[in-house]
Amino acid sequence: MDIAPERLVSMGYDSCAASCGRFMVLDRDILEFSCGISGLHVMPLKTAFEVYPHVRENLLFGLIPKDKNDFTKMASRVDPVGYYVRVEKGVKIADPMQAAFLFGGAHQDQLIHNIIELEEGASLDIVNGCANTHAGTSGRHIGITETYLGKGSSLGYTMIHNWGPDMEVYPVGAVQVGEGARYLSNYVSTSPVKRIETYPKATVGPHASARYYSIIYARQSSYFDTGAFVALEGEGSSGEIISRVVSEGGTVISRQTISGETKGCIGHMECSGLLLAENGVIHSIPELRGKHPDIDLSHEASIGRISDEEVSYLMTRGLGKEEARSLIIRGFLDVKIAGLPDRVKVIVDEVIEQAMSGKI
Amino acid sequence: MSFLEIKDLHVEAEGREILKGVNLSVDAGRTAIIFGPNGSGKSTLLGAIAGLPGFRVTRGDILFKGKSILDMDIDERARFGIGMAFQYPPAVKGVRLGVLLKHVNSDGNWVQTSAEMLNMTSYVDRDLNVGFSGGERKRSEILQLMVQMPDLALLDEPESGVDIENISLIAQGLRVMLEKDKPISRRQRSAIVITHTGLILDYIKADIAYVIMDGHVLGCGAPGEIFDEIRQHGYKKCTMCFAEKYRDMNTQDLEK
Repeated sequence: MDIAPERLVSMGYDSCAASCGRFMVLDRDILEFSCGISGLHVMPLKTAFEVYPHVRENLLFGLIPKDKNDFTKMASRVDPVGYYVRVEKGVKIADPMQAAFLFGGAHQDQLIHNIIELEEGASLDIVNGCANTHAGTSGRHIGITETYLGKGSSLGYTMIHNWGPDMEVYPVGAVQVGEGARYLSNYVSTSPVKRIETYPKATVGPHASARYYSIIYARQSSYFDTGAFVALEGEGSSGEIISRVVSEGGTVISRQTISGETKGCIGHMECSGLLLAENGVIHSIPELRGKHPDIDLSHEASIGRISDEEVSYLMTRGLGKEEARSLIIRGFLDVKIAGLPDRVKVIVDEVIEQAMSGKI
Repeated sequence: MSFLEIKDLHVEAEGREILKGVNLSVDAGRTAIIFGPNGSGKSTLLGAIAGLPGFRVTRGDILFKGKSILDMDIDERARFGIGMAFQYPPAVKGVRLGVLLKHVNSDGNWVQTSAEMLNMTSYVDRDLNVGFSGGERKRSEILQLMVQMPDLALLDEPESGVDIENISLIAQGLRVMLEKDKPISRRQRSAIVITHTGLILDYIKADIAYVIMDGHVLGCGAPGEIFDEIRQHGYKKCTMCFAEKYRDMNTQDLEK
């Protein structure tokens, strides 16, 4: 395959790092998949249809309607390319699974459909990386992901986008978080992508939680319309949406919704934006919906620029102006995510570090 | 030529002239104390030396190690040997104290030693000054200076709002930084300390004191003596007395 190893690392796919399973797609071809842990199943979705009939019958388009939008309609008409990942009951996996979705430009559209199923008490971390093989390729990536979390299970789902400037990206995601289960989504995009639109939804069951963290660094001319919707449907469920957005000339519409629908729901969202250039736009739309008197929902939102006072302060320690600004931006993007495994944090930090140093 | 020499310095802040022709000097290895009432221009003086934005030098010069620093940016001055402990340092969310310290000095052992001395080891993983109490901020400032090891430390009210225990820790750090355990002739690092309360004088021996009022240096003299007069008579009453007694004195006069 004609892609530099460092480009794979920059999207979180490191062939040297410990992982419990791997899955790699180039355009519409599955290049590799593997699984080295008992109780974990990683295979192409098409294969899963044959091995596990319930995947096609019950899970495929079980959370996302086929006619949700033009992309889901397109996806429903073709053979799916993507993974099926299942963790058996009670199996807890320490090393993350790594997946890579590469766009090489063989077709105008890359259609991906993934299904994740964690059985009762299972736990897993997945690091998904998406990128062009070469920055110059142009096209559309449409990624559909349906996630089913059984009772008391736990999934950490990290998505790293490293798309080039001529790519349009339309992920469609939905998660069903079962009773007492935990879902943690961690999204990072720092490359000069043309357009990304995504608004994943988590439906959260009793005493379960869904947390969405996103870090977006919008380059000149990039356009993002992103966010998350957390529906707290189960009693005592909780949700959190934290976003950090930096624009150095790009446009970011950041939509977050938490809907508290029943007794004892707790939800919090925090949307912070940093504008580095005059032609950048950050439009933050935090939305809270309360449908029961015994709920507690809150949000904080702010958009600002780098404080001159803070830059000057760091400069008195001998840091140059750009070094000081960079340290502040890096700090702004450093979302402290409770529960994110160290080895996943290392991957995310490395990606952001590379982006900040101009290597991406 | 003094280590730091300030000549006829006029400085504006927010369009108003704050310093109106300040002259003072600090020799290598010496600690100077600046006394003065609120609004007299003490912090403006330190800000102008550090090169902070908002302080515009309209006349005069600041010579450090024999070179004018007026055209240097803040970071150039820092790398040239000027460090500052702020009275009210900003909180910088996301930037951990330990990360900044690594940027300032790559000697991890010295960073660790300094943090231990100031009882700050548990703060290095915290965001810079975020949620720090008054005393913690002051200790953080002195820790950053210790790690930076400037040739000239500008200390803006290092003891204000700090309890006795914290003052003792701060003073310990300052003594190390300013080489107070060495004979005076072998000290290289200098400091200018602004103090309202004079409390820091109980811990750090200063070599000379200047009194600033209304943007002018009234005179200089022995720190203890001047501080006693201020305590007894207040700034206003002592204005004439300072002007007559100490005008035109310098460090050499005091040593004589």
